[in-house]
Amino acid sequence: MSEEAIVELAPNHKAGLTLANPVMPMAGCFGLGTEYARLVDVESLGAVVVGPVTARPRRGAAPPRTIPLPPSQGGLGGVLLHTGLANPGVAAVVRRYGRAWARSPAPVIVHVAGTSPDEAASCCRRLSGVEAVAGIELGLPSTADPDEVAAIIRAAHTAASQPLIVRLPLAGAAALCEVAVEAGANALTVAAPPRGTVWHKPSDRFVTGRLYGPFVLPLALCTFRRVAELVPVPIIGCGGIHSVEDARAFLRAGAVAIQVGGALWRDPACLAHIARSLSTAAEPQ
Amino acid sequence: MIQTDALATDVETSGPFARVVLAAPTIALGLAPGRFVLADLGGYLRTPIFPAWLEDEGFDVLIPPGHPAATLRPGDEVNLIGPLGQGFEIPTTTSRLLLVADTAHLPVLLPLTQSRNRVFQKKPGFSIALLLSAPTVAELYLIRLLPPALEVHTATADGSAGHGGSALNLFPDLVRWADCVCIADDPATYPALAETVREVRVGPGHRFAQALVVPPMACGVGACHGCGVEVARGTKLACTDGPVFDLLELR
Repeated sequence: MSEEAIVELAPNHKAGLTLANPVMPMAGCFGLGTEYARLVDVESLGAVVVGPVTARPRRGAAPPRTIPLPPSQGGLGGVLLHTGLANPGVAAVVRRYGRAWARSPAPVIVHVAGTSPDEAASCCRRLSGVEAVAGIELGLPSTADPDEVAAIIRAAHTAASQPLIVRLPLAGAAALCEVAVEAGANALTVAAPPRGTVWHKPSDRFVTGRLYGPFVLPLALCTFRRVAELVPVPIIGCGGIHSVEDARAFLRAGAVAIQVGGALWRDPACLAHIARSLSTAAEPQ
Repeated sequence: MIQTDALATDVETSGPFARVVLAAPTIALGLAPGRFVLADLGGYLRTPIFPAWLEDEGFDVLIPPGHPAATLRPGDEVNLIGPLGQGFEIPTTTSRLLLVADTAHLPVLLPLTQSRNRVFQKKPGFSIALLLSAPTVAELYLIRLLPPALEVHTATADGSAGHGGSALNLFPDLVRWADCVCIADDPATYPALAETVREVRVGPGHRFAQALVVPPMACGVGACHGCGVEVARGTKLACTDGPVFDLLELR
């Protein structure tokens, strides 16, 4: 069976969001659109997810931001990343990267950090007139309750003209997915990288951030399967994907597309490799 | 910037270090002192590697004991991304260059002593001085790799060679002498070095003193924002804005 397919992420949206294949980078890993231009064959991808962006510029978190996690039991280990949503603000991002997005051979999806309804609406309003933006992925606060989530998504949905993908936090994804769809999500991403805390010995303090590594895969896949049973919208599988087989696991679980995160940092060529492998190789029985 | 496999063509022991010769012509062309590559050495994140010696076809790296690259053997291939970052900028008007390092970071500065990178040395009277610090004389091994013409000032914590105590005691006189300073040391020493520069130099120009800062990096291309370094006007990224920064702008 070949997994080559045209993927429709927003069948119920007037514009739709059609991808040539199901592979894309995860928000927060790929930059704002040009950083990986010389290392990733964007033409081979289904889409690129850029950002996160916020309404106003954010300087980001004070160092340390990157804390390697040691391998355990022969594994690869991973990394904790705490950047504090560093970005120049949505207006500056559009000004600086809009032309590059327009030239992108793959559809551009902009990830908006939906820290509040106002922030989500402000970002989506600014992006709604940008023709090069094919879709918006909305990130949610990891601690938001269902009412807050609904308010943020409704604000984004009202302001955005493009299809709206909502990225659910890993913890609570199953509890929030129906709320998200009801509030206007055309598709879901399951899930955002989980958060964790480590003690950083050199600075003698605790650092909390997002976790990346192969160990995320079973957690994300478990959550994905629960969400897939609950909602009928297209779902993008995301979390711990480091190989073609990892991507296939999500597709078998019902994902219409997948996002690759930390694996991209170690091997930028892996995105194109996964995309080509899924589209050309027969899946082992 | 490209992603490519480099071939380890030679590995030899150089004191406590392993000297690994990597053939990577497409990357070597763009490398310069202070610029780096990210090497896939088996960990989850790539490892920054700085050239200690630059050639047209590749570069040498000096690997300390316990480094993930210490297991490389001749014939091994290692996947690299590079060249990356902004290296040391030596103004063409420079005639007295001061290098400051501890032994762990000295390899990063070695290309600045290499004749091919010293176009400015054609100037009459051009000279380079090195201020090298180490815990004991045993850690000063790399001195033997330095060009004979280099003026070396050493400081050992235990007084077993050179000045006994902190290299900071020798720094003021050398800063007065220099018209450009390149530093690769423990960043914990940078505030004191910066304070000395402010004290002994009147109006040091932009990049009079440049310092290497290498926090852990994930992407190396400015995409993940994981290698933030705090400077006077905000936060910069070590991978794309650095890893060489103006010493006086570091916070």
